[in-house]
Amino acid sequence: MRVEPAVPTEALAAIRAPLEAAGAERADAPLLQPLNLLLDLAGEAMRARLFVVQAEGGTESCLRPDFTVAIARQHLAGGDPEGRYWYQGAAFRASARDDRPEEFVQLGLELFQPADASFQAADAEIAGLAWQSAAAGGRDDLTLWLGDVALFAAFIDTLDLPEALAARLRRVAGRPRLLWAELARVDEPARAKGDPGGDGGALAGLLAGLSEAQAGALLEEVWALAGVEPVGGRGPAEIAARLVRKAEAARAPALTDGQSRAIRAFMGIDAAPQAAFDEVRALAGKAATGLGVALDAWTARLWDLSQVVPAEAMRFTPALGHAFDYYDGATFEVRSAALGPDRPVAVGGRYDTLLARLGGTGERRAVGCMVRPWRAWREGEGVGS
Amino acid sequence: MSGLIIAIPSKGRLKEQVEGWLADAGLKLEVTGGARGYLASLKGVPGAQVRLLSAADIAEALNAGEVHLGVTGEDLLREQGEDLDSRVLLLRALGFGRADLVTAVPKSWLDVESMADLEEVAHDFLARTGRRMRVATKYLAQTRSFFARHGIADYRIAESGGATEGAPAAGSAELVVDITTTGATLQANGLKVLADGVMLKSQAQLAASLRATWDAAALASAERLLRIVEARAAALSSATLTWPARSDAAEAALVDQLVAAGGSRRPHGVLVDSTQVAEASLALAAAGLGPVTVARPDFVFDVNSAAMLALRAQLF
Repeated sequence: MRVEPAVPTEALAAIRAPLEAAGAERADAPLLQPLNLLLDLAGEAMRARLFVVQAEGGTESCLRPDFTVAIARQHLAGGDPEGRYWYQGAAFRASARDDRPEEFVQLGLELFQPADASFQAADAEIAGLAWQSAAAGGRDDLTLWLGDVALFAAFIDTLDLPEALAARLRRVAGRPRLLWAELARVDEPARAKGDPGGDGGALAGLLAGLSEAQAGALLEEVWALAGVEPVGGRGPAEIAARLVRKAEAARAPALTDGQSRAIRAFMGIDAAPQAAFDEVRALAGKAATGLGVALDAWTARLWDLSQVVPAEAMRFTPALGHAFDYYDGATFEVRSAALGPDRPVAVGGRYDTLLARLGGTGERRAVGCMVRPWRAWREGEGVGS
Repeated sequence: MSGLIIAIPSKGRLKEQVEGWLADAGLKLEVTGGARGYLASLKGVPGAQVRLLSAADIAEALNAGEVHLGVTGEDLLREQGEDLDSRVLLLRALGFGRADLVTAVPKSWLDVESMADLEEVAHDFLARTGRRMRVATKYLAQTRSFFARHGIADYRIAESGGATEGAPAAGSAELVVDITTTGATLQANGLKVLADGVMLKSQAQLAASLRATWDAAALASAERLLRIVEARAAALSSATLTWPARSDAAEAALVDQLVAAGGSRRPHGVLVDSTQVAEASLALAAAGLGPVTVARPDFVFDVNSAAMLALRAQLF
């Protein structure tokens, strides 16, 4: 395993100082994490990056790839609605590239709040802490990139699209290949109402007018007639409902050229934050309260951030976020020009839904950040190589 | 590692097919150390040691560089990691051991015909149940990269040691990625293959390990083996046409034409691909040349061995 060199104690203390001074409790995470849980949360694509360990006869574990999930679980187990924790320790991710360390130090802070807390203020505070911590490493080429995973859905809502199409776009938002395929399918003619359109279309026509129970019963009859033995975890009602939805989606028109252009332009926004928000407003379709609320929240976050981050060091690009992250709201990254976008100095964002998936009861909110001190330190990663 | 080490399957239908293929090229496998031995020698390639291993172990041994050459299924080789081509060179597809690696879902899923449908259903499944859809397979690496190419993220692999096709009926997975030849086993288990769900059309491959230590002796033995199997394969796909020579301009023009179409000159005729036999013979007859005798060669040794050139290019 390739190990990252150590940052000198004083430099590390300086990078840690903003997180330590934020009134948080020190937390730690077990070195071994349950493999199943992490794969359930992050998906199979994560498996290739994990170091899997297993004692003879035991269940599979992995070396912790980060602290967030472990700290969120500990917090939920404690039962408090609120919590604020900071951590420092080694994390492990396998890499096929020879020049990337696989064991490296992470510093971070996680903030948990009840549903009614002011989450915009929390977003700005955590992004500001990540910036201060990263900047304490002494690099002078840092930029704070801001983004918002939820903004895409709000933007789509302003375009007045058929629901099936809007749902599909929202679903593929985090998957570039599928999104571009949908954007390329411009002005494709919709199928006529009576056109069964192949695969199950005629059956969908029969199912469409029925109640859920009736549709399920009809589908079971179809199975019996076709000699199909149903196996596996999807019931007849669910399959019937999706047959109907699929036929509806096939009849729904594709994006118009203008709509496709607007979405492409939205995805391509990359500007100083206030200018970026103006671009989003200009691209949006009919007056949309959802989008307006989201952008107003960003104006508030930006004002808070401007207290700690120089205005010229901030950029906004809506699509900032990764397909396999847990983030579901505001996201941010501190990047060094020397290290490039592939090696961010700090990353973070909002992940409210992760808590629900970990079994948290009631509405809760969570936001956190992680800093890589070796990347933050001005004499660290990428220097002299 | 001194001398060439070749791994071939130790059991089952694949073993019989490999032995048949070697015997057809005049290479007889002689098991040493008793009838149940797992070492053998190859009559016709002196100095080569043959190890009889399971097909899966052969893929691993090639990947690790423990053997020089091996015969095993491409499905098993591709499971050794995405960048297999940097460690193992596929020299020859052998035309047997054919099987497809496919994504199969329950037939009762009338709404799922393609990988795009599966992507949508997997997403809905996660949203509805809070769990990821489970895919039973022993082909972890290929499943991961194929699903990633189709944008499917909301699934989990349930590793399966055997009887994978029964997993949906047993309730341990929702769908499977498995190998199939006729599809009958999938059918019998209530499963269907997705329209664009064929991940690999696999067959037995003669492959070389690029990680093995290749000394002069190993290279020489490998070249001998490769030339023999290539010569036999070339012979099986070609035929020699001969006819009483007329030695005029019309005959020369016709021979030139056949050579241009891929044939090669012989003292009293021309060697053509076996699919060209009828066409070439008719052309000759039409030009008044004949009678044309068609003979099948036993071996056709070329000046160069394509497989050996490829191997040398990768190694040096």
